[in-house]
Amino acid sequence: MTRRDAFWAVFAREVRAASRSWTYGLLALAVTAVVFGAARAGSGPAAGYVPTVVDVLLVVEVLVPAVAVAVGYRAIVDDAERGRLEVFDTYPLPASAYVGGVYAGRAVALLGVLLVPLAALGVHVATTAGPETAVFATHRGVDSPLLFVRFLALTAAFALVALAFAVALSAVAGSRRRAILLALVGLLIVVAGADIGVFGAMTGGVGVDLDTLLALSPSSAYRGLVFETVLYVAFTGRSAFVSVPAAAASLAAWGLGSLLVATLAVAR
Amino acid sequence: MTDAPSLQATDVTRTFGDVTALSEVSVSVPAGEVVALIGPNGSGKTTLLRVLAGVLEPTAGSVHYTGPPADRTIGYLPQEPTFRPGFTALETAGFYARLVDDDPAALLERVGLDAVADRRVDALSGGMTRLLGIAQSLAGDPPVLALDEPGSGLDPGMSELVFDLVADLAAPEHAVVVSSHDLLAVERIADRIVVLDRGTVVTSGSPAELRERTGGPLHETFRSLVGDEAFGAVRTREGGRE
Repeated sequence: MTRRDAFWAVFAREVRAASRSWTYGLLALAVTAVVFGAARAGSGPAAGYVPTVVDVLLVVEVLVPAVAVAVGYRAIVDDAERGRLEVFDTYPLPASAYVGGVYAGRAVALLGVLLVPLAALGVHVATTAGPETAVFATHRGVDSPLLFVRFLALTAAFALVALAFAVALSAVAGSRRRAILLALVGLLIVVAGADIGVFGAMTGGVGVDLDTLLALSPSSAYRGLVFETVLYVAFTGRSAFVSVPAAAASLAAWGLGSLLVATLAVAR
Repeated sequence: MTDAPSLQATDVTRTFGDVTALSEVSVSVPAGEVVALIGPNGSGKTTLLRVLAGVLEPTAGSVHYTGPPADRTIGYLPQEPTFRPGFTALETAGFYARLVDDDPAALLERVGLDAVADRRVDALSGGMTRLLGIAQSLAGDPPVLALDEPGSGLDPGMSELVFDLVADLAAPEHAVVVSSHDLLAVERIADRIVVLDRGTVVTSGSPAELRERTGGPLHETFRSLVGDEAFGAVRTREGGRE
């Protein structure tokens, strides 16, 4: 039994469990209703992909961590609280393979719940917006479905980071009751807390550029990347909202760091 | 390293905050034997079993496994086995079997659950859930088995079947340690009994040796060792709980 085999065994268990759960379908319906509602309220779909992204960005920024927490907060604490982790200890199942399998399995479910409604919104834009949105080009001044695909990719990355954070909280929680509490705290941290920390650091004068400082919070990093690589593409001279390399590195650090914390907590 | 597996706990102490669950306990689980841990509630049986199974670190002392290398050295049945809901018994056994390249159908057949292989685990009775837990503990054919209350929650016939299975497991290539409140079953299958009380080993020996202490049945010896009050939770020859 290799580490990879163990990973696939856990991954298959998670995917199979998710495929049988009606709650994920319900979540996807709720996400669909919210993003379509936000887009329709802003009339973005009739104007094009970029206006649609502008309409839904704020909603998605809150929705993604909320759904990620809902999908991930019980990921590990259930096995821990019910003694199954102790049983796993007697198997050749390394903590990294277990955490990786749980995370990857839930990531498949999470991405399905989030990306299918957003992709449907993209299709909706394609069928309702003006003729220029059918142009496949990313040069400045032209709306393009590729920009929407870029938005989807960034949203997927943000979702994976938020899920990793939720899984880490689940691993350290110890009990389901504490997991719920930590999930709420984690949600606040991802959605607002880190931003507040960044603004606090700005007013404290830490001597770091604003665009780098903003990249430290996962929400700001995601928002900044969407602005830099999706929205501001159409506007000459409008950029430097956030440092792209710093934002990408920040998301990677939040994601990988969270998975490391989860692995260490399970290995204890 | 020899081919005969054995487990040796030496001066194991385990505390939980201010509470000492085990105090300098030494136990040997040799190959080919069933070692039974008995004692009143709170005597430290489950804690000792978890330490022996390697799922709980001792605060002091050590546990050493001697024997052939194996993918899975110790099979462990927790006191209250639980399984991920939404899966059938076969799928559940399949998950554990996949971790050690075993045959899930054979595992279920071994504990008599093959007839309910397609039943979801959340629809299994308490006894069937325990049997599935035993099937899980056997996955990968581990040389040492640590079973916490394997007969608990089972009807007498099923309990007898499970303890017979446990007795059969103690072949020269296997060592078995089991905790139980069921003195009847313990007396029938155990090669050696370790009596625990308040986290310490009160005495140990074969069922015959323990019986000789009072000259009567085993439960008389047990009562003399742990007292009348603690004796209440133990199932005796009279078929009930005194």
